[in-house]
Order: sequence, then C-alpha cells, then structure tokens
Amino acid sequence: MPGVGLPPLEQNLPPIVLRNYAKWVDHEEVRPGVLKHVAESGEECYTVRAGMPTNARVSTVLARRIADLADDFAGGHLRFTRRHSLELVGVDPARIDELIERLRGLGLPVGGTGRTFRNTVSCTGWIHCQFAATDAPAVAKAISDELYEDFLTERYPAKLKISISGCVNQCGEGSTADIGIVGIHRDLPRVIDEEVARCEIPLIVSVCPTGAIRPKPPKSVQVDPERCIHCVACAAPCQGMQIGDPETDGLAVVVGGKAGNSGNGPAFAKFVIPYLPNTPPRWPEVTRAVRQIVEVWVQGARRDERIGDWIARIGWDKFFQKAGLPMSDKLLDGYVLWPMSARTGVRFHW
Amino acid sequence: MLMVQLACPKCGFVIEQYGAEQLETDAQKQKRYQYLRKKQSLCPSCLTQTAKLEERRVELEAPPQAELMAEAEAPPEARAEGEAATPTPFCDELERGPWPSHVTELKQTRYHMQMYEEGLRQKRTQWGFGGYTSIPGVASGILMRASARPDIAKGANLVRAFCPSGTFYSTKTFRALCDVADRHGYGILHLHATTCDIEVLGVPKEELRATVDELVAAGLDVGSTGDAYRNCQECIGPLRCEMVLVDSVAMRQAYFTRFLDDVQYPRFPHKIKFKLSGCPNDCTRSQQKGDIAIVGVFRDPPRIDEARLDDWVKNGGDLAHVVRMCPTRAMEWDGRRLTIDADACVRCMYCINKCPAIRPGGDRGVAVLAGGKMRGKYGPLQPFLIAPLVPAIPPDFKEVFDLCAKITDVYDEHARRKERLGDFIYRTGIDEFCRLVGVAPTPQQMVAPRINPFYHWTPEELQASRKEA
Ligand code: HEM
Ligand code: SF4
Ligand code: SF4
Ligand code: SF4
Ligand code: SF4
Repeated sequence: MPGVGLPPLEQNLPPIVLRNYAKWVDHEEVRPGVLKHVAESGEECYTVRAGMPTNARVSTVLARRIADLADDFAGGHLRFTRRHSLELVGVDPARIDELIERLRGLGLPVGGTGRTFRNTVSCTGWIHCQFAATDAPAVAKAISDELYEDFLTERYPAKLKISISGCVNQCGEGSTADIGIVGIHRDLPRVIDEEVARCEIPLIVSVCPTGAIRPKPPKSVQVDPERCIHCVACAAPCQGMQIGDPETDGLAVVVGGKAGNSGNGPAFAKFVIPYLPNTPPRWPEVTRAVRQIVEVWVQGARRDERIGDWIARIGWDKFFQKAGLPMSDKLLDGYVLWPMSARTGVRFHW
Repeated sequence: MLMVQLACPKCGFVIEQYGAEQLETDAQKQKRYQYLRKKQSLCPSCLTQTAKLEERRVELEAPPQAELMAEAEAPPEARAEGEAATPTPFCDELERGPWPSHVTELKQTRYHMQMYEEGLRQKRTQWGFGGYTSIPGVASGILMRASARPDIAKGANLVRAFCPSGTFYSTKTFRALCDVADRHGYGILHLHATTCDIEVLGVPKEELRATVDELVAAGLDVGSTGDAYRNCQECIGPLRCEMVLVDSVAMRQAYFTRFLDDVQYPRFPHKIKFKLSGCPNDCTRSQQKGDIAIVGVFRDPPRIDEARLDDWVKNGGDLAHVVRMCPTRAMEWDGRRLTIDADACVRCMYCINKCPAIRPGGDRGVAVLAGGKMRGKYGPLQPFLIAPLVPAIPPDFKEVFDLCAKITDVYDEHARRKERLGDFIYRTGIDEFCRLVGVAPTPQQMVAPRINPFYHWTPEELQASRKEA
C-alpha cells in the first residue's frame, strides 16, 4: 500500500556520500565525463557520467547491465542526474579508463560535463502520448547524433542544454533550455459531438484561455477559429476535443533559456523559428537549424556565456542577422503578455 | 463493513472506496471523496471517460483487494503480440547514429513497436485519450492511456513512483525495480520522467495493485499524478556539491514527511510541483518550472580567501575574465587585491562557481517563489518571488513549509478548477496574492515599483486619513 514516503537515506546512498554529507569543499572537471569532488577530510570522490538512451527510455536488459557495472565499479550504487545522465559515484581513479570502455561497450558515451552538449531531455511524444504534434524522442535522437562529438569534447563557450517537447504542454521542457524544440499544432481541435456529450462542458469552456469555445446546444461545443491559439488546453479534459493533424502539425525552435542566476539570470527561451514541418524519422531541417544556431554561438560568445547570455549582450536583432534566420510576423508577440517583448525605443543593432 | 464506493458508471469498475465510518471521521478522506465526486474520471478498466462516477453503498466482508490480485493470472492480450513481424523501417532508422537510441531499448521489451512505427510513418500519434486514474487505496500514481489503434495494442496503464533521494539507487533497489517492470510491465522503464519520477509502463489493470505493492516494498512509494502536490525534485546538494547553502536533501525528506497525504490524495484545483535547489545555481530549474520553487540563498557578500586566491591566480586562474563577466560589475581586481562591491553584487554565484577562492557569504536561508509553469493560460511564466529569505531549519523546515502550505491553502480556496497556481496569481495580482497569503511585501519582490497609480485602498485606510484630518 502507498503511504510510506521516501526510503531512509541509508538504503540508497553510497557510503562515501553518507560519510561526507554536506562536507564537500571542492570539485574539478578532470576531463569530459569525469568529475573529482573533494571533501573536508581530504577524501576524493570520482564520478563518471554517461549519456543515456534518448528519452531516458531504459529497457530492463540495459538497466540490469548498468547495475552489474555499478556493482563492479561503484560499490553497488548508481544515480541519474536531473538531465537523466547516468552517474557512477565513488569510482576507483585507477579503473576509470576501464569503466569508460565498459560503458562504451553498452553503447553509452562518457562525457557531458563542463562546456559540452548535455544529455537531452524529451517528452514521450508518439511513443505514448495523445497530444504530440511531433515526436520528441526521435527529434532528440537526431539532434544527439548531430552533436555527438560535442558531448565528448569541450568545444563550446559554456554548456549547451537541449530539451524537446511534443506539444506546447512542454512536459519534456523546451522553453527552459538553451535550445528547445516545441511541437506545435496549427489547426483547430476537432469536436466529436458524441464524445463531448459525455464531458463536463462548462469545464471545457472555462479552460480555454481565449474564450474560443462556446456551448453548442444541446450537448456539444463549437470552436471559434479566429480565437483559437492551438494551446491544447481543451484536449486534456475531454476526449471529444481532438487536436492533431499530420499534414499541418510541426515544431518550433526556441533559443536562450536557462535556470541559473549567473549571466543574465533565469529566463525562458524565445521562439526564433515559428514552424518547421515534421519530417520523420530524422527531421533534417531541425538538426540543420540547431547546428546553425550552435555554430554562431560558438563563434560569437565569450567564455562562460550561455546562448541566452550571449544574445542578451548582442541583442536579438543582431542574433537574427548573425544566425541568418528569417524574420516572421509570427515572432512578434501579440498575446496577453506581449508588451514584455516589444521594442519601445530606437536602440537597434545594425 | 459498510463501504462507500465510487465506480465507473459504464463498466462498474470500482475506482475508489472507503469504509463508511472512515469517511465520517477522516477529514483528508472526506476532501478526497468530495473532490472525486465532482471530477470527471477515467476508468482504467473500460478506458473511457465519464463526467460523474456512480456512488454505491455496499456491505463487504473485507476490502476486495485480494481478489484483484488473484485475477492477475490472465495474460493481457496486449502483451502477447510483442514485436509484430511487420517491418519497422522508420524505427530502424532511429537506431542508426552514435547516440544510444530509445528504439533499441523499446525493441528489447514488450512495447508494441508498431504503435511507434505507425506514428512515425503517419506523422501522428497512435495513442488515444488518457490521464490520471486510480484504484481503491491508490489515489495517485496511476495513469492510463487508451489506444487509437486497438488492432495493434490495447491501452496501457503506467505507474509512477518517487525517485529516492538524490536519484541515487543501490543496485538492490534498482534490480527490484527492474523485476517489477519485467513482471508486470512491458519491461521498459522511464528513468526518469521530467519531474524525476520513475515510470513503469504497460501494466494491465489486474496487476496495478501488485505493481504498486511491489514498488512500495522496494522502497519506491507511488504517487505524483493528478491535482496534488507532486514529487518534489531536489538538487544533489549535500550529497556531492560544495555550493550547497541549505540542505536540499533533508528538505525533500521533510516535504514527504509533512505532506505525504497532500501528495497521495489529489484534491487541489490543479497539479502543484515543488522544486528545491540548494543554491542560486538552481540545478533543478525551479525558477522556471516550480509551482513552488525553493532556492537556497545567502545575504552577506561572497567571501574571498586571499591566500587561496593568490594560489589560484598563480596556477593560471583567469581572474580578470571572471571580473569582466560578473553580471553586475561588482568585482574589482588591480592585479593584487580583489574587492567585491556588496551593494552591486546580486549573489548570482558566477564568481563562486568559477573561482574556488570565492565562497558564498553567511546569513543563509531560502527564497520561496510561486507560480512557475510551462504552458498555463498565458504561456510559460517564471515563478514570482513571495519571500526573499526564509529561515531553513532542519529537520522539519517548519517556516518554509508553513509558508508553502499557506500559499496552497489560498490557491485551494480561491482558484478556479484547472487554473494553475501561476495563472491564479497572475489573475489576482501579486499584491492581492501576498495579502491573501499574509506575507509582508519586501523590496526584493519587485524588479522595479509599478509605473501606474492604480492601486486599491481599503476603507480602513481611508478612515484613518479622515480621522487625522
Ligand atoms: C495526457 C497527456 C500527457 C502526457 C503523456 C504527459 C506526460 C508527462 C510526463 C511523463 C511528465 C514527467 C512527469 C514526471 O516525471 O512526474 C510530464 C510532466 C509535465 N507535464 Fe505532462 N503529460 C500530459 C499532459 C500534460 C498537460 C495537459 C499539461 C499541461 C497542463 C502537462 C504539463 C506538464 C509539465 C509542465 C511537465 C513538466 C513538469 C516538470 O518539469 O516538473 N502535461 N508530463
Ligand atoms: S509535451 Fe505534449 S506531447 Fe509531450 S508528453 Fe506532454 S502532452 Fe504529450
Ligand atoms: S486549443 Fe486552446 S485556444 Fe483552441 S479551443 Fe482549445 S483551449 Fe481554446
Ligand atoms: S543547486 Fe547549487 S547546491 Fe544544488 S547541486 Fe546545484 S550548485 Fe549544488
Ligand atoms: S556573486 Fe555574481 S554579482 Fe556577486 S560578485 Fe560574484 S559574479 Fe558578481
């Protein structure tokens, strides 16, 4: 039965971590994928970090092999980072090379620390979700293949985090990351009258942020095409509101999000490409756009500048010129909070 | 024993049940019961949605849980098909390339590859309606998803469990988790979903109870679905990070101790996600996604260890660069002496991250922010600062969680259904929201004061002026 809560710390924490709890004083990025942390007592703790299969999908076959490695190299403990990379903590420094080889043997690349491309975060997309306008896992795989080398070596001015969501709900994030991909629907939700009749119509009407939904007697609703912003809100509470159209769905690219307070502080990413079509299984337009944005950043940014910090320094108008991205009326915000992003003076970058 | 059951009106599957006596005495159960009665539900058995559950009163000898488990024998037909013989060219393409592929993983399990293949081929999802559901005794932690292609796969349920602290696993726990996924699911794990929950996918309804029980026995309690407090993500903090200002791991333990009922019994207007970061580096991205974000902060300016600084510079540390990149230009370095202008410094952590001779200052606590989300009504919103420095005192972090509880009480009482906390705060205004919560305003809460004169005065305030006049 539920109701137990979290297990005691001792159940899952390695002894080296328990011994030095809150007593860490220093760390060093030894090489991509290998971290050394030093505790007050002088004890050193080596961590090896590896990329995981896209979408953090792990078969029990792979999971058990990882557990074997953890028994062999890390005293029977393992962990995952907040971006779902694998970490083996407390590894004997003399055996790091051997461990890296063994991880490679499982297909898992070691890297993703320091100024590298990090493990992607993505939502479940077409693997298991009814709202997905694009398949986040496959897009994550395409991008990860494209930037694979940058996971292994530190070529960037700062770290690069890429997150992908299948729709604007952003379960897999997107707006939080340096570069994000967000699936977008462009057509209206289809109303299936018989299904809507079984739902709570007042709820459907009230979740719509733009008032696009009106009751249609006797027991259905209608959608105002002028008002609908394709936000997917009405699809969640009722199976009669079906969103998704293979011919017009696609995805958008956002740039410049980050959470930390250094540089320009926490910010959401901004939409820079309003629409790219779905081209499974490899989405070449997307990988090309990502590559293009990454390369101008690598060329232009100062050391320690994440993409968003760099753009904050040079300005979005300059960024568009440098990246060679076309301007579109879709990029000018017209929604509720639009004055937050509109220019009011004449301080331009040319 | 007289039981009150809430059941699917279509197929009769019991979604929740209580002892009638219990329902009269236990306030938490009552709230949950009222909530469920009002809410439309998804049935994990017939996979349909209904506006209202059917209420039944039945006389039972014992709760029928044993019976549910006994049923588990019948192999769900969804499983038998496994990898269909049909070719999967799109999926195969996703196995190419150097990065480890989710398709390779899925192919080693009983997941129906054809669902995914068809999705990629047709450029549309093959899954049907889904959402949160529950079975008696498990109010949170189970999701169901219907299939739009019953010819390939029937719907699938999945079970969510909380990751252990710091997302560390002993291999014993980890193997127990694999066993559960093999025994009851497709054999695929989501490690982890974005909120750092574990997801065990593909559990037939008859085996939900057993899955939950086995996860709980392995130390992985379930929950984190529905309109409840969700799993709370903490940063690695004290476990392996020298920046940590407040003990994020202990705070998460305290969260679960204090709020377990709010986590496991959905009853709020919408979901509420907590994120805890030990310092302003915010490794959990709480300042973007936290309905409630709790971030370790310090008030005194960064401390400089002169001797260590000399060492670091001698060994090639590029202090000039750090000084140049300080976002507020608070640092000055003349080649021999480093000073930090305490008035300009915003405690951003940059210099502290880059130079081991600069450490966070004293007077530490947490900042509490509320209302972050990724979609909501108005698009992504970062959480708003409610209190800049709350004392964070282990083991129970009472001040911090009292404030959080007050915030969600106000939300529970005033928000509309399916209105996220951030949208609610946007609607009321931060001024009114802080009044409702009862926190005193602080200058840290604003980037700048308002530029319009349109604020409210209370009759008492007017009365006071009249008296003076
Ligand atoms: C039924 C379709 C949906 C599926 C399959 C889905 C799937 C997921 C999954 C697997 C996660 C990670 C959860 C965890 O780790 O606990 C997640 C998180 C999230 N979901 Fe959904 N979700 C759905 C609907 C929605 C809706 C309707 C919204 C908007 C209200 C939403 C907003 C989010 C957000 C913002 C997160 C990220 C939270 C975080 O980063 O902590 N999702 N979703
Ligand atoms: S972001 Fe959209 S597509 Fe992805 S899991 Fe969430 S609801 Fe589904
Ligand atoms: S998609 Fe959004 S805007 Fe369009 S009708 Fe539905 S709720 Fe309203
Ligand atoms: S948020 Fe701060 S304390 Fe927590 S892990 Fe990150 S750097 Fe360390
Ligand atoms: S903490 Fe940030 S603002 Fe303060 S001195 Fe260091 S870099 Fe500058």
